[in-house]
Amino acid sequence: MIKFDQVTKRYPSSDEILKNISFNIEAGELVFVTGHSGAGKSTLLKLIAAIERPTSGTVLIANQNISKLKPSAIPFMRRRFGLIFQDHKLLYDRNCFDNVILPLHINGISGTEAAKRVRAALDKVGLLHKEKAMPITLSGGEQQRLAIARAVVSRPSILIADEPTGNLDAQYAADIMDIFNAFNQVGVTVIMATHDTLGKNIEGNRVLHIDHGTLKSSAITQSAFLPTVNLRENLHHD
Amino acid sequence: MINTMLNHHSQAIKLVLSRMRNNMLSTLMISLVIAVAMCVPGLFYMGVDHLSTLINHMQDKTEISLFLKLDADKDAISEIDAMLAKNSAIKQYHLVTKAQAWQQLKEKSAANEVSNQVNELAKNPLPDAFFIQAKSTEPEALEALKNELQNIPGVEQALLNTEWAKRLATLLALGKKIILFIASLLAIALLVIIGNTVRMQILTQKDEIVVSKLIGATSSFIRMPFLYAGILYGLLGGLLAILLLAAVVIIFNQSVAQLSSLYSNDFSLPLFNMHLSISVICTAVLIGWLGSYLAVTRAIAAIKIT
Repeated sequence: MIKFDQVTKRYPSSDEILKNISFNIEAGELVFVTGHSGAGKSTLLKLIAAIERPTSGTVLIANQNISKLKPSAIPFMRRRFGLIFQDHKLLYDRNCFDNVILPLHINGISGTEAAKRVRAALDKVGLLHKEKAMPITLSGGEQQRLAIARAVVSRPSILIADEPTGNLDAQYAADIMDIFNAFNQVGVTVIMATHDTLGKNIEGNRVLHIDHGTLKSSAITQSAFLPTVNLRENLHHD
Repeated sequence: MINTMLNHHSQAIKLVLSRMRNNMLSTLMISLVIAVAMCVPGLFYMGVDHLSTLINHMQDKTEISLFLKLDADKDAISEIDAMLAKNSAIKQYHLVTKAQAWQQLKEKSAANEVSNQVNELAKNPLPDAFFIQAKSTEPEALEALKNELQNIPGVEQALLNTEWAKRLATLLALGKKIILFIASLLAIALLVIIGNTVRMQILTQKDEIVVSKLIGATSSFIRMPFLYAGILYGLLGGLLAILLLAAVVIIFNQSVAQLSSLYSNDFSLPLFNMHLSISVICTAVLIGWLGSYLAVTRAIAAIKIT
């Protein structure tokens, strides 16, 4: 589904953010991308979502080479993804319903079909009763759930979340994790960047651990396997 | 596929209309700016257009006056009459004999102060004359006909009084060029104004554009509402311009009515000029679309999503 082959990414006038990264993510996997702040987690997700192009190496999404896509084809590639950002990127000039309907409008779906799907998505994240509310009136956890509803409303096959629980307290974070697990169980590929490596949800799932731009491990985690370095770093950053 | 496109268009229009409803004042302002800018060349055009129809009308009635020599006798007159009848370039003509002309002059002058001088003339100074209407109204053809008639023996002088009409027509042609120039300048100004307005709107919608790009919106999808905004500004501005033009015409006609009645001439501008209205609206819509297209294309390219 997603294949990185010796991918290097360097921004103009900066060091290499990612160095020689190779991995493969199968459809239906739940994968965590971990690492310290600035390790390159966000850049990795941007490469997957075709927001950035690799400096060298190849990124294949569903057997399509991102570097070789025409600019006009990029939007259609992005519609395969549901993107969730740490800062939500909600639109504060419209209510919850209108926020969630935006991807459907982009896909040319409107009317009752769109309304049905928006309500279904809001229901999945437990915000059905808030469809008329403005996003600014929601709590942090609710805003993140709204962002998830927007990401899933067009039924993407891949969900990409950049530290979705980063600003939330433990209870909200657990709620969000449950939502992602639920999507993963119905076959959606979920890729999530997080530095919350101690959460119980990580156990039994794949972790791509990035350290200063290089991929350190790409294995199924057990609790004991977690590098201790990581623990210290996270304590430091939190 | 077609459904998707129709949905995109109807959503864009709905979005633009709701944005305009929310910003009624600024929508009205920009429309008014367009209206005024369209109205100025429109008015000039109306005036010049009307004058040139009047002149064409006058040129239609242009006559060649053929004054015969004072000593022309009845035989000479009927000889010329026969020649004129045979000439294929002549539509119609009539003869005014010196006696008829003398009578007309006396009647006309009876009412005013030159009557004494006329009466003092001992004998009729007027020649026999033919008044000729040519088939063609082209200045060159008239000129040629005039020269041909001039050469008929017994003709003192052939007069073609179109010089003033020619001069006026040249002036009007110049006027039309000036209007075109002014209109082009105003069109450029409008492009800039509309472009700037749309650019400001894009800045306020920047978040939406970034998010839309991130979740897979194509450039044309992002462009569409702004293009419709430009088109609608143009449409509103064009309609307002026509209302403004009508208002100006009404005022103009009222104040000119007195003046024209003195000249026993019905000079009034038509209230509604279909041709002009359609071109004003089309031009305004085109300028609106183009202005926003240029602005939005530049702005979207400048907005980075990362």
